[in-house]
Amino acid sequence: MPVADGNITSWADEVDDIEEKKSIPPPTEVIENGLKIVTEYQYKDDKLLKVVRTYKIENRKVPKSIAVRKTLKKFGKSTNDKPGPNPATTLIGEDVHMQFITNKEEIDKPDDDTLEKLKNAGGVVKCRNCNGDHWTLKCPYKGSALVNRQEEKKIVPGLDDKTKPAAGKYIPPSLREGALKKEGGATMQRPGLDGTAIRISNLSESTEEQDLEQLVKPFGQTSKLFLARDKITNLCKGFAYVHFKNKEDGERAIAKLNGYGYDHLILSADWSKPQGQN
Amino acid sequence: MKPIILQGHERSITKIVYNREGDLLFSSAKDKTINVWFSLNGERLGTFDGHNGAVWGIDVDWQTTKLVSGGADNTIRLWDCLTGVELGCLSTQSAVRTSKFSYSGTSIAYSTDAALKQNCEIFLGDVRGDNLRNPYMTLPVRDSKVTALLWGEVDELLIAGFENGEISQWDLRMAKEVNNICEHNNSINDMQTSKDGTLFVTASKDNTAKLFDIDTLECLKCYKTERPVNSAALSPVYEHVVLGGGQEARDVTTTSTRAGKFDARFFHLIFEEEFGRVKGHFGPINSLAFHPDGKSFSSGGEDGFVRVHTFDQSYLDYRFDVGS
Repeated sequence: MPVADGNITSWADEVDDIEEKKSIPPPTEVIENGLKIVTEYQYKDDKLLKVVRTYKIENRKVPKSIAVRKTLKKFGKSTNDKPGPNPATTLIGEDVHMQFITNKEEIDKPDDDTLEKLKNAGGVVKCRNCNGDHWTLKCPYKGSALVNRQEEKKIVPGLDDKTKPAAGKYIPPSLREGALKKEGGATMQRPGLDGTAIRISNLSESTEEQDLEQLVKPFGQTSKLFLARDKITNLCKGFAYVHFKNKEDGERAIAKLNGYGYDHLILSADWSKPQGQN
Repeated sequence: MKPIILQGHERSITKIVYNREGDLLFSSAKDKTINVWFSLNGERLGTFDGHNGAVWGIDVDWQTTKLVSGGADNTIRLWDCLTGVELGCLSTQSAVRTSKFSYSGTSIAYSTDAALKQNCEIFLGDVRGDNLRNPYMTLPVRDSKVTALLWGEVDELLIAGFENGEISQWDLRMAKEVNNICEHNNSINDMQTSKDGTLFVTASKDNTAKLFDIDTLECLKCYKTERPVNSAALSPVYEHVVLGGGQEARDVTTTSTRAGKFDARFFHLIFEEEFGRVKGHFGPINSLAFHPDGKSFSSGGEDGFVRVHTFDQSYLDYRFDVGS
């Protein structure tokens, strides 16, 4: 109600006037390139808010019966609704995804597909750690002793394509590299299962079983891992024993890990000696 | 997927149904109104106003011309689907719990609750000529209450699920009960047929959903969960079943509020194994329906919302791994 002629108005009317003075721009509706853009203004907590809703207009071919129903007049409580969804009754929810419970690989498939394509393109994908044909980020030897060493191939002969998990093909242990050699010499001098155990020392306090496993996994199969922990603090005491299934694996691990820098410390590795000699 | 949330009810949803083509979605709630929505964009086409109490059961005929609804105001009403005009209204002795159109759309079946001295009964009515006449047949129910109703093949069979977990089958030509089984040990909340009408799935308060042959009532499969199942629907295109439920509304405040209890859960029809879940509701799901093209589904919950989900490509591409 506008204030006119200097008439005395009640304070309630004045409040109304102030409300009116904060004029709200009229809502606009623009339709362009298949998009309907509705702009509305509203006050909320004394601030002018601009609400922009963008609708995509789609043309679909539908059976005649559906097309007829699409042109129906709205009725009941929707009689006065404009064409298109009314924001008061129709909302767009937050994005939800179906959580698949089994078969998690299926979801990752698109990733593999790009990898597959690049693989086929030839030599595009090359791991900077181990030169395998996978992303560096997904290197199975990530964080292990073999990372980023050029001499890797020379020292670790067993780590050719055959034993890489990525190669996929299963090779029985008896046919694996090293198995033949063992028959010749190693079996004679092997004192027992203990002979395949190595001791790794100067590990950092924060080392966990998983770290250890990751560290020694590339050298071959292990039968037992033991990480010495402090009884009270439960932190790593600085050394660990690893029992390999093959002595050759142990040899390689020693050759590699002795003097290897791990977690800001330099490890030392040697065969595990009977108690008292250590 | 971004679900469309339909906010047309003030109280909990009791039932949602798609029409045969799937372009319209009807929803009823405990708040007297029935809404109809375009399933594609969530636009509300209209409301059916007239009931004076909670609406328990709605159904639409195959031509999408008529809607039947039964409610707690002791009435069964017939509506023109497309204009919202009430075509007829019949009073009953007690609340109407379920109402269903026959496949041909010429008859309706509805059941009333047992109340006071009133026994539970099933009525069959003729709806040709666009009005509601007095029922032509009444089937007495012995001791329990009908909670779900289904028409069998070529309108000859009627199948009812009871509050005590029994399922009965009537041959309508003889008006005689021909089969009765007791596979569930608690109330049957919902029954829905497969697209070809040869199978149906039950949802029961005993935490299971079961698949039956509609003819022999042989129990074929069982889908186990750890909470009451309020609704179950069969995918029209894949061998999938979706189950929705949760604790009863009145128990929600007194038990754990751990998230994930109100998901829609997808089971493989044959292997009976759950493979996926869709979150969203913050109350139990009361009714579920698959779009007839199988590419979207909707759920109505105790929270009063209807959520229309259009499946992502990852669901459509999903193949159940038999080996695992």
